[in-house]
Amino acid sequence: MTQEQNNENFSFKKYAWNQFKKNKIALVCLYLLFTLVIVALFAPYIANERPLYAQYKGYTLYPAFASDNKTDSIFNPNGKLEDVLQYDITDWRSLELDKVIWPLIPYSPGGMDRYNRDYVSPNGKQRFKNSQGLITDVPNKFRHHLGTDGIGRDLASGLIHGTRISLMVGLVSMGIASLIGIFLGALAGFFGDNKLKMTRIRYYFTLIGIFFGFFYAFGQRKYAISEGFSNGIDSGILELTISFVLIFAVVYLFRFLSKFITLKSLNKEMYIPIDTFVSRGIELLNSIPRLLLIITITAVVERSIWIVMIIIGITGWTGIARFTRAEFLRIRSLEFVQAAQSLGFSNLRTIFRHALPNALAPVFVSIAFGIASAILIESGLSFLGIGVPDDIVTWGSLLNLGRQNLEAWWLIIYPGIAIFLTITIYNMIAEASRDALDPRLKS
Amino acid sequence: MFKYTLKRVLTFIPMLIAISLLSFVISINAPGDPVERLSKAAGNEGSAEQQSGASKKIKQELRKKLGLDLPIFYLAISDIATSDTLYKIQDKYHKANLEHLTHMSGNWQVVSDYYNELLKIQEIHRTLKSKDIFESTIDISLNEINEITNQVGFDIGSLLETSDQELVDLKFNTISNYLENYSFLSPINTSFQKVKQLNLEILNSSMKWKTYIPSINWYGANNQYHLWLFGNGNDRQGLIRGDFGISYIDSQPISTKIWQKIGISFSLSLISIFLAYLISIPIGIYSAYKKDSAADKGLSLILFILYSMPSFFVGTLLLLQFANPDNLSWFPVSGIQDPTIFDPEWGFWTKIKHRMPYLILPIITYTYGSFAFLSRIMRVGMIDIVSQDYIRTARAKGLGEGKVILKHALRNSLLPVITVFAAIFPMAIGGSIIIEVIFSIPGMGVEIYNSILNYDYPMIITVFTLSGFLTMIGYLVADLLYAVVDPRISYK
Repeated sequence: MTQEQNNENFSFKKYAWNQFKKNKIALVCLYLLFTLVIVALFAPYIANERPLYAQYKGYTLYPAFASDNKTDSIFNPNGKLEDVLQYDITDWRSLELDKVIWPLIPYSPGGMDRYNRDYVSPNGKQRFKNSQGLITDVPNKFRHHLGTDGIGRDLASGLIHGTRISLMVGLVSMGIASLIGIFLGALAGFFGDNKLKMTRIRYYFTLIGIFFGFFYAFGQRKYAISEGFSNGIDSGILELTISFVLIFAVVYLFRFLSKFITLKSLNKEMYIPIDTFVSRGIELLNSIPRLLLIITITAVVERSIWIVMIIIGITGWTGIARFTRAEFLRIRSLEFVQAAQSLGFSNLRTIFRHALPNALAPVFVSIAFGIASAILIESGLSFLGIGVPDDIVTWGSLLNLGRQNLEAWWLIIYPGIAIFLTITIYNMIAEASRDALDPRLKS
Repeated sequence: MFKYTLKRVLTFIPMLIAISLLSFVISINAPGDPVERLSKAAGNEGSAEQQSGASKKIKQELRKKLGLDLPIFYLAISDIATSDTLYKIQDKYHKANLEHLTHMSGNWQVVSDYYNELLKIQEIHRTLKSKDIFESTIDISLNEINEITNQVGFDIGSLLETSDQELVDLKFNTISNYLENYSFLSPINTSFQKVKQLNLEILNSSMKWKTYIPSINWYGANNQYHLWLFGNGNDRQGLIRGDFGISYIDSQPISTKIWQKIGISFSLSLISIFLAYLISIPIGIYSAYKKDSAADKGLSLILFILYSMPSFFVGTLLLLQFANPDNLSWFPVSGIQDPTIFDPEWGFWTKIKHRMPYLILPIITYTYGSFAFLSRIMRVGMIDIVSQDYIRTARAKGLGEGKVILKHALRNSLLPVITVFAAIFPMAIGGSIIIEVIFSIPGMGVEIYNSILNYDYPMIITVFTLSGFLTMIGYLVADLLYAVVDPRISYK
């Protein structure tokens, strides 16, 4: 270690990475995580009931890569219309394809195989309808290698597409949580209770500005926002973004206006106990049982996987905020931050350009743990069938099917192992990077 | 110590208020109309005739009893265009519609005229009796008259609830068509023309600016939140006196429902927390004592993996293995007793003996959930203590290793046990929803699960509020106990 420290090119990142690499199990977990990400990214090409490539009556088609609503008209060499292929409802298996490349698992997660309904076991007898329309024993290619559920959906395909959802849950919810947590934690830790000071008039105007900002952004625009969300998630997010920008604009306007008021008694400076506010908020959120809070909120809003992710994010920022705050408390008295301040950089610049990059290491650990618990919560919710719509296949909902029908052991073992593995991977990476980033915390 | 206690209690009160506010906000945003749900639960559904008569009166009384005719909160922030008496409108959807219309036009006067005129049409429409019309006209059948009046009634009803202009125009068109073709509808004609006129005025209002100026209305203590939390002194007792409202499912008071179910959840969580400590403390001590040995490393890894294993997976696996005729059918699959032989008159021990096989798997799952976590905490805490100076002193003065660890170190590392106070009550009320659902244990968890599936909002909100309150009280008690055990804390 001394050798490394003496090296002129010593970089903390390199050091941490070297430490991390020493933990072989964690390294394996990291590779597994990459595999999961790849599986999630390419899920539609790994498990799909449409072939990747097909030659049909002289036409070359790439059905798996096309959008669902694509339609192809097939003409025979004389120019006569023979067939209209509507991609989402065509049964590709019954077509006489000249050449075909099937995905690894030739089933879609929601596709119901009506010849293999009622919990067909992985190594049991499976039926198949071949292109001549005869029911035969299943060829190995079309075997449900992990079995099916009660309505004939392929388990392997469901698991592969479930990878997407579990990764999305982790990313989206912890993305939201980190935004809130890092912002609040940074403010609380950097300013503490007695560092953020402003003139009284400015403080009052800021408060009024926040009031007006929220009034215009959410009171005045609530119909615009709800209309946006009813038109689709992206237009809803656009409207929300406009609202947030509006809040900042209004607050800024009021702060600007406060400069013009120069009354002696109102120009005294006062401290804003921002740390107390944030700490109390964390304490409050921590004292509410999180799963119950999430369940309560999901009970009153409509069922949607996105809303579940957002709620998990909004309720999950306290750990991140605590770590950021603690790190900023330490960092704010270090030389480089003081140098930045004495150079006259604004507080915001000092926080986000100088202090934050140096505070992120422990925060990263808490985010990784957070992802694990977000996935745990989501799979718990879909196990109960709360919040997540019924038509979305997730690991939790598959496990729930298994619980309701204990004979279908494959519906318990495989999804359960998928959840367990993913959570272990994240926890393992989190723990190893904590040890690597901050050896003092090593337990 | 007194100062510390006072400080803790003072910070405790605003948190309670915050939790109550949070659950109140969630509860008023719950979809659907509570009165409809409750009267449905009470079996007051009837034919259309009854709807307009007796049941309407019952609903009105119910609305009043629930306080739905009151303003929502002590104060309301809106814009100067919106009327401060809007809360008096009874129908939830009408209220929302009026609010939206006012928001569109900024002119409350026109909007309320529009609304009243529509109500007038609805009133006139009600007095139209198909039979009378049938007798006075000759060219249409009774069925046709019924169909048309129903259609018009439906259109007016939806006009009262929608502010979407496309839909409004559509309804206007159909009603105009009917008016042209069927003369028996003429009593509503004047009002209908007026409604159309007012609708135009709403669309072309020049008072939109009014919606940009905020206003704050003060309503005083006579509001829904106050009623919900503190009651009104006679028929409503308020949350703080144990009146949690009425369940939508069976119209029973929620407090009775909770009392019936909480016992089993409470005893389950008590037993399993006790077991979890019983297992995890020795493991933690051993692991910390043999720090960095192969045994410690192996134990740590196993604990870590167990910690990542979701308890619902463990529970289902246990069911699959031990309560499944295909594998080992050692335990019953669900419930806590056999209804065919269980007798409520049995003595305490007989009951326990009877329930034992039902409870073993749930208790294992329950315990499992906290044991891995606790062992890890215990190990870290113990390692921390063992490296302290006073432990070295104890060793230096020649005490045996067992005495050092079990007497000097263990005592101090057990301090975190107190934290259990913060967790035990909310766990009992929230139950472990997932575990109770897996094993079909009729406790609070399944109760909450069912209330979510049936949209029984009063129950959900009550459980949420109570567990929030109880966690806070638990934290408070734990903090004070800490301060008693470790006086340094109160001097900080």
